[in-house]
Amino acid sequence: MTTAEKSRKKHYKENTARERMISFCGELERWEPRPYPCRCFVLCFRPLCPLANSEFASPSPLRKSTAQPWCCLLRRAAGLSRSSMAALAFTHQNFLQFTPKLTPSKPKLKPKRTKTKLSIQTIPTSPQASFTDQFVLQLADSLEDSLPSSSSLPLQKLRDNSSETLVSTQWPSRKDESFRFTDTSFIKNSDIKPISRPPESLAFLDVSSDAQFKSFDFVDGFLVDSSFDSSNFPDGVYVGSLLKLSSEGILKRVCEFLGDFEWGDLFWSVNGLGAPDVTVVYVPEGCRVENPIYLKYISVEGGDGGSKKMPVSNPRVFVLVEKGGEVGIVEEFVGKEGSECYWTNSVLEVVVGEGGKVRHSYVQRQSLSAAHIKWTSVRQESTSTYELVEVSTGGKLSRHNVHVQQVGSDTVTELTTFHLSVGDQTQDLHSRIILDHPRGYSQQLHKCIVAHSSGQAVFDGNVKVNRYAQQTDAGQLTRSLLLEPRATVNVKPNLQIIADDVKCSHGAAISDLEDSQLFYFQARGIDLETARKALVFSFGAEVIDRLPYAFVQKQAKDHVKELLESTGKGSS
Amino acid sequence: MAWQIQCTASSPPASPPPFTPKCLPPRSLFFTLSATSSSRFCPPHMPSLRSVTCSLSAVESPTSTAGLDDSKTPLLEVKGLTAVIAETKQEILKGVNLVVHQGEIHAIMGKNGSGKSTFSKVLVGHPDYEVTGGSVVFKGENLLDMEPEERSLAGLFMSFQAPIEIPGVNNIDFLHMAYNARRKKLGEPELGPLEFYAYIYPKLDLVNMKTDFLNRNVNEGFSGGERKRNEILQLAVLGADLAILDEIDSGLDIDALRDVAKAVNGLLTPKNSVLMITHYRRLLEVIKPTCIHIMEDGRIIKTGDSSLAKVLEEKGYTSISAE
Repeated sequence: MTTAEKSRKKHYKENTARERMISFCGELERWEPRPYPCRCFVLCFRPLCPLANSEFASPSPLRKSTAQPWCCLLRRAAGLSRSSMAALAFTHQNFLQFTPKLTPSKPKLKPKRTKTKLSIQTIPTSPQASFTDQFVLQLADSLEDSLPSSSSLPLQKLRDNSSETLVSTQWPSRKDESFRFTDTSFIKNSDIKPISRPPESLAFLDVSSDAQFKSFDFVDGFLVDSSFDSSNFPDGVYVGSLLKLSSEGILKRVCEFLGDFEWGDLFWSVNGLGAPDVTVVYVPEGCRVENPIYLKYISVEGGDGGSKKMPVSNPRVFVLVEKGGEVGIVEEFVGKEGSECYWTNSVLEVVVGEGGKVRHSYVQRQSLSAAHIKWTSVRQESTSTYELVEVSTGGKLSRHNVHVQQVGSDTVTELTTFHLSVGDQTQDLHSRIILDHPRGYSQQLHKCIVAHSSGQAVFDGNVKVNRYAQQTDAGQLTRSLLLEPRATVNVKPNLQIIADDVKCSHGAAISDLEDSQLFYFQARGIDLETARKALVFSFGAEVIDRLPYAFVQKQAKDHVKELLESTGKGSS
Repeated sequence: MAWQIQCTASSPPASPPPFTPKCLPPRSLFFTLSATSSSRFCPPHMPSLRSVTCSLSAVESPTSTAGLDDSKTPLLEVKGLTAVIAETKQEILKGVNLVVHQGEIHAIMGKNGSGKSTFSKVLVGHPDYEVTGGSVVFKGENLLDMEPEERSLAGLFMSFQAPIEIPGVNNIDFLHMAYNARRKKLGEPELGPLEFYAYIYPKLDLVNMKTDFLNRNVNEGFSGGERKRNEILQLAVLGADLAILDEIDSGLDIDALRDVAKAVNGLLTPKNSVLMITHYRRLLEVIKPTCIHIMEDGRIIKTGDSSLAKVLEEKGYTSISAE
């Protein structure tokens, strides 16, 4: 250790942990120790070269794929005797800017926090961040104008906070790490119109109602009153509007958590400002809700494929499951037939109390010209369980941000997701699991199929195993299937491990179908085309099979089959 | 390929024109065999191509005549088959000759790495191997021209030595797909799921499997024995004129072996044939072969009746290759 490092260490004595970061270039096999000040900072990784993407794509003539296992390993030891080190692995030859910054103007990262904050996501900290983005400002204005001011205190607070954040937020560009592979200019270039009221006629709703489970319908972001029926649920369970919430107790609990989230991006804030209401799902202590709560989001207003008009809806749901409660949430996003071009910007917040359990099924089958951006933020208290199964097939641009924050020990988190791009689509999953407490268990499986030459899938899966998260068992696997030449997938599995007694694994595979499997079909007289179809479908079926409710599963299967069928003709 | 057929066909009666050594490759195995047989045995009466190869067996074991008379219809005729590994171009098969007639059971034995499994994979068209020479005629058609699925539909079935897992594909769906492909080929209407279930259900008893076997994913999490049973179940469902059983006995316990053998025997008719690859005599005791072939270094070096297995067991492969 150099003297320079030693002297630097003194400054961080109060931090107890001595940290040294070693950035490791996987391909070059070169280790380069860097002394690293560590107090409250944000790490920004982003390429200096704006052409980074094209550089990635060029070497491979047929399929471009970039797998960047950014396995960040950060070990901290409390005692002097134990060696502490941190390693960052990049399999990426581009220049990476490694910019430690003291907390900028963001009010949410207050310097009083003693905990180290490490973030892969770029919170807009670039020098321009202080400048206001005119476009965002305009958008904020039009959102504000579209809704009447609310008498509800928590809702107004949410709007105020969001509006405050929006002022200093810029529209994400490809230079922001978290949008590096996801081009949102498609939304920006459209004529965004906030929807101020639900459509007059709701006649189309009757057709879709499922006999077994009544759905709570959101039309253009507004919860439809007629679909309101809590009678099937046990006493104490509340599903409905925040504005109509009569129980003071529940309201108080909801206010404790609502909107309290420091990781949001522009779209999180846009929703906060534009949400006409917050739908609350409240499950009291020890209550097990047998039937799933089926939330169906339907976009009615929308231009046809060619038009620039893009109505935006901002549905927001808040789920609070108290100690020992259990509930299943089914979210389904669809577009009404005939409306193609719209933007759904949805937020779901989930708080799972001690020992509680939430089974979350999320099916997104929007129109192929729509924009769909969704946030799912989960807070897990000790011994709670959160299981997410996602099947996303729709949208020209579909982005799902999942954030799971562990706030107690012995939690179980399972994320199982399947993305399918059959057209000129971008399917994006950005997930982050933050483990701060011991004996957490997290399993993540992400699968995606890109079946179109201009289709794209993006995956950024971040698992952070922080200092106190000892004996964590975290696994992550991503598998991608590229079926067409030039189909693209950008995957970035990244585990950041600070705790030293953990079991963590991750893997990424990008492939075509396996020849040996295809041959097995052929050897039994099944032609290649049929075999390919069966194998492609089975690839997704592994995830779809985990949807906990038969009716959702069947719907998703039929839909995926139909989509694959439609592309099957063109593919070899 | 052409010269070989030409040469064999013309060898006995009108040898002069093509039978000049120049037009033949220097060390064609087939040529040598037919040459030795004609010189040692019955040179004047060699009427047809078929009996040429028959006489090959006749040379080695004149006693085993079952299935070797001319009235039998050949099902599979392999001549001078050479094949390499597609990737490395390493030659594995160096001229295999074999004729299987209808209703016969053939066994191929041989040391590890002698090319037995490669031979069976080449027959079903495995993409890992490339045929570089020789001919394979199955039911009068050139097998090498066919796609793997066409070979299967033509009535060739291979049970894999190590059946692969196919996660996400249900066993019954897989069988259903394969069975309907067969029916389509035969011009019969495809079966719906329920009809197919009725068809397949009795077949389960044959391999002694439970119904839940059908609802599991193809070979996923199957034990060695279950995989082999599954292969035989597929054979039972699909039927085959020639079933190639590649080490169907490896990894099986005694009871499972008996089940599998019973199932195979139950599927045998005077019309269809079996070509099995094995290391052990035990299998040959339960499925009685017509002939046993010994393979070494990519060639069949000896053919005999079931007594050959006994010799092997006692003296090992060295005794045979030394001859």
